[in-house]
Amino acid sequence: MATSITQDPRDPNVALSPTSHTSEVLELFLNSLVRLKDGQVLDMGPVCEENILFFASRLRRHYVCDMFLRLIREQKIARHSRNVWRHLDYPDRFFDGIHLWDLCDHLDDKKVSQVIEHCLLMLQPGGLLMLVAFEKPPSPVRINSFIIQHHYRMSYRVQPHLNIAWHCRHNRALMSLLTGFSIVKSLRYRNGIREILLKKPL
Amino acid sequence: MLGKSKKTDSGKLVSPDRPLEGKSSTFLSRSTARDEKTIIGEHISIEGSIRGEENLEIEGSMKGNIELEKHNFRIGPNGQVEGEINARNVSISGEFKGNIKSHEKVEITREADFYGEIKAKSISIEDGAYIKGVIELDREPNRKSTDAQKPNATAAPETGKAPGAPR
Repeated sequence: MATSITQDPRDPNVALSPTSHTSEVLELFLNSLVRLKDGQVLDMGPVCEENILFFASRLRRHYVCDMFLRLIREQKIARHSRNVWRHLDYPDRFFDGIHLWDLCDHLDDKKVSQVIEHCLLMLQPGGLLMLVAFEKPPSPVRINSFIIQHHYRMSYRVQPHLNIAWHCRHNRALMSLLTGFSIVKSLRYRNGIREILLKKPL
Repeated sequence: MLGKSKKTDSGKLVSPDRPLEGKSSTFLSRSTARDEKTIIGEHISIEGSIRGEENLEIEGSMKGNIELEKHNFRIGPNGQVEGEINARNVSISGEFKGNIKSHEKVEITREADFYGEIKAKSISIEDGAYIKGVIELDREPNRKSTDAQKPNATAAPETGKAPGAPR
């Protein structure tokens, strides 16, 4: 197995855990979408140039709504009572695919259920939802962007501007929150990262 | 900056010697050299459209469309713009709501708040920028979507368990 160490850009001597991996689930997700004419994808991860270029160069229109930064802004202005998901004001059955990245790792159970419910509404019947989940917070405990590289290789880049709580879950707990979808593929990599591809029923 | 000379990026002093198109054109200072730019200062608000034949930077606020087909447009860190932009290169460091059509490149810096649509040949985005929008890149005709990312046939999968099996 080819492995590589992701280094902390602020201290090249500190190796980050986990290491990078090659994403089979991402390949499956993308290949399913490019088969569609004008497949539309929503990316809810932290804004990341590599990922935006990856999808935008392969699909006609790539939608981005950075919910990580949204969560932080909601915290800062103490609008806990307001529904952060109001920013997902897309029409029902609009997307063919949604990538949540590791957003669920930063949401409590109630908010995970809410975002999953929104995804169900926003996806076309048969639409795909991809998400990534950590078994435990990375070491050092920092939020990283997943960076898509060549050959579906995923590495990580520290996002020092993002400071959100962690809610890592065991597989059973996570799966119990992903109601309404059927599982297409679920993989656990050696570096402890799980990738899950879900499908909205037809 | 109304009526005052303004120093351009190149250090030359320029004066508002010719109004540009647009309702508030008298609030603009204008450079004289072709590659210099007009800057709308941070205490200026404009409602209306701007069409021009030189580069433009906005540090103030503006509601309206900007047409600079062969020139560059920039929203500085304090700038706020709402409208449609048509320019060669576009750089956003402030707040923008609307649609951008760029004939070359769009750059979104980490200070930016972007809501809208981007159509461009290429794009660069810094970590930390906020984007809620749609990105549409000019694609080469007949490009095969997955070729560039075709996994190496010799690369071994890194999964810790069999595909398809939930943990």
